[in-house]
Amino acid sequence: MSALLETRKLTRAFGGLVAVNAIDMHVGEGEIVGLIGPNGAGKTTLFNLLAGSMEPSAGTVHFAGGDCTGFPAHRMAQLGVARTFQITSLFPELPVGENVRVGTFRTKTSGWAGALLRTRAHAEQEREVSARVDEILAFVGMGGRRDLPAKALPYGDQRKLEIAIALAAEPRLLLLDEPAAGMNPDEGAKLVQMIRSIRDRGVTVLLVEHHMRVVMGVCDRVVVIGSGLKVAEGVPAKVANDPEVIRIYLGREKVHA
Amino acid sequence: MKGAPRIQALAAVAVLAVLPWLTGNAFLQHMMVLWAIYALLALSLNIIVGYLGELSFGHAAFFGIGAYTSALLAMQWGVPVWLGPFLAAVVAGAFGLVIGFVALRIVGPQFAILTLGFGAILHTVTNYWVDLTRGPMGISNIPPFSLGPIALDFTQARNMYYVALAFLVGGIYICHALMTSRRGRAFVAVRENPSLAASIGIDVFRTKLHGFVVATAISGAGGALYGHYLRVITPELMSLQYVAALIIMVIVGGKGTIVGPLIGALVYVSLLELLRAAGPLRLVVFAALLTACVIFLPGGLVSLWRRLRERRQAPEPSGAPA
Amino acid sequence: MEIVVFAQQVVNGLANGMGYVLIAVGLTLVFGVLRIVNFAHGEFYMLGAYFTYYVTSLAGIDYLGALVIATVAVAAIGVFANQFFFRPLRKEHEFTILLSSLGLALLMANGAEYLFGADPKYVNTRYADETVDIGPLVVTQQRLLVIAVALVMIAGTYWFIRFTRMGKMMQATAQNPEGAALTGINTGFVHAYTFAFACGLAALSGALVGPTAMLTHTVGDWAVLKGFIVVVMGGLGSITGALFGGVLLGIAESLGGGYISLGFKEAIGYAIIILVLLWRPQGLFSVGSGRR
Repeated sequence: MSALLETRKLTRAFGGLVAVNAIDMHVGEGEIVGLIGPNGAGKTTLFNLLAGSMEPSAGTVHFAGGDCTGFPAHRMAQLGVARTFQITSLFPELPVGENVRVGTFRTKTSGWAGALLRTRAHAEQEREVSARVDEILAFVGMGGRRDLPAKALPYGDQRKLEIAIALAAEPRLLLLDEPAAGMNPDEGAKLVQMIRSIRDRGVTVLLVEHHMRVVMGVCDRVVVIGSGLKVAEGVPAKVANDPEVIRIYLGREKVHA
Repeated sequence: MKGAPRIQALAAVAVLAVLPWLTGNAFLQHMMVLWAIYALLALSLNIIVGYLGELSFGHAAFFGIGAYTSALLAMQWGVPVWLGPFLAAVVAGAFGLVIGFVALRIVGPQFAILTLGFGAILHTVTNYWVDLTRGPMGISNIPPFSLGPIALDFTQARNMYYVALAFLVGGIYICHALMTSRRGRAFVAVRENPSLAASIGIDVFRTKLHGFVVATAISGAGGALYGHYLRVITPELMSLQYVAALIIMVIVGGKGTIVGPLIGALVYVSLLELLRAAGPLRLVVFAALLTACVIFLPGGLVSLWRRLRERRQAPEPSGAPA
Repeated sequence: MEIVVFAQQVVNGLANGMGYVLIAVGLTLVFGVLRIVNFAHGEFYMLGAYFTYYVTSLAGIDYLGALVIATVAVAAIGVFANQFFFRPLRKEHEFTILLSSLGLALLMANGAEYLFGADPKYVNTRYADETVDIGPLVVTQQRLLVIAVALVMIAGTYWFIRFTRMGKMMQATAQNPEGAALTGINTGFVHAYTFAFACGLAALSGALVGPTAMLTHTVGDWAVLKGFIVVVMGGLGSITGALFGGVLLGIAESLGGGYISLGFKEAIGYAIIILVLLWRPQGLFSVGSGRR
């Protein structure tokens, strides 16, 4: 399986503190990979490096064979990398359907010239976009909510909407930032289902997560980060029993909520 | 646009077209021309303030650039007057491109200060470059609008009104097409949540620059119309007073909508006239209106009307969620 | 002789520059503690000058007394301005607050035109007429007064913020508003105090510089712009930075106006602000304390 995303000696330092230390990792096409580690280990920094919201101090990142090191967020997105945010990030004043519609930006090309001249290509594009919005909303289970303002949604639905917006961009790789945060076990199980369905759609997934039940339940492979270094890598069951992993989580329960 | 809104829009245009014939009063007709031009200018500022969500304190400079460009082209180089507004739009848009390229790297209050600075520089240059602009005396005897061979007298308010109205309708159409397009979605995304917008592939800087250039170009066209109608222009067009007036029109009318700037321009032109006797007190009234809207009615008069309409549709007590 | 002319320009520029510093210190305090970019700040400068004019010409009180009265009175007005134009918008987006400050600025400037008339006023004090000879230079007492008073006020402000209880509360509120409130600091009171203090400084500047120039209701517009330029140059939160920036701007303008052209004098400030903001794109108001 070819590597969709690959980092070589990826490093990020803040002055004297090396948050991400020469990490080599990869995500294969069609995989669901989990990125875990104790608080302060550097996973969020690594995640931000991959998403393009932070520039690396050293090392490289390759996506689909092309060098994308240091690309800013919008260029990574244009390549086909979509992400969600740790703190729910939506367009709160817009209706749910519009939120998702905005997400389709990179999938189309006709701009306002088309609207101005009322070309047929533009009308068709808008039809396709509307159809896609409905399809994605149905996929995440929010079909009836299209016209509600996003800020009126309960927390769990807002998280779903975030994923819907990311999916609307038709990414090849979806980066999920703590998708299970604030969820009870029931919601967590539903999330696992959704992530599997996302993979079935042909989207590769990389997630950062603390909820071990979700990680163990859905990931093909887990990468463990500790103090900026890659500590372990492998299938969930193996990683869970790795003495090094247990050590860096010393004192912490491995499965919470 | 489909169905009811489209019919409403066409009806509105029809009413506007008939307006000058409803009165023989030349002064009222003059006010209509002013309204149409100011509405176009307010519409252009609304692109920056309402659609992009940035506050530009230098917008009057582009209005002035358009006025001077069109006047000078007609008077120094014999360019046909009807071409003036279009060329003025190009020149103003070019200035907008340069200034926007530089200024939009920083957003928020810093952008406001930066545009204030750029506007002030342009004002100063216009004031002092006497060879080109005739300095503080300004340019007078600007040729009136003309359609070349078609012998219509555009010094008459009624005729000029149709020219201004045509440009206004054009501007409205442009804004509407812009905001219902993919590009318009990008504008809204960049305004509402820039980091989310970037994460779905929108280049925030280029999007803002795009909107900024369109806005400055349209205001340049408005400036040209202003010059050919009032026949006199001075560097004062680029002053803070005009900037404040445009901001007031957009905010009081309702930012982020098409109708808002139109209403704002109407309020401004009407009050300017109705309160003429009050002298500088007029400006105090405008300032009070602006502040009242900012604090109590952020969506402007348009939102007030919308609120009233909602209340009429749902006559329950205010326990119902908005 | 050339050197004398040069030195004369420098001294004049220094006096203007000190006026700018006072304005800038107020601006930077208000942003630091209240997180407000106050476009109306220059209007308090304008009010200070007008109050001084009316107190000296109508009430016949001497200039120095008028200075004090004007400063205190405008500071009091500042308390009300903060209460009505900024406090209700505390939780709003900075865009809204900026607009509110624009509304306040317009209200004050146009209100001044209405109340005081559009004709220019001249504040007459004996200091403006009498001069002091410093070697070959001839300096009006007024200019010396501006420099002296401004230096005292700036040093006093610096000392106040560093060493007094209120000053430390201001620092705390500036660095971490929520944390400050949690430790029992009444941030609302600190805000009002800071705002009034800043307005007082601006008014003092207007009262001091007023007699050196013609006074109209529009002086507030350029006063606030000068203030922003100096804050940009000197760095946010830095009183010493404001000192250097203001003096530099004043002297640069004076020399530019004298040796190049009047237009240059006006434009140089704007050009500086554009260049500095470009070079430091994190902007005028980047908070150095590394939040978020």
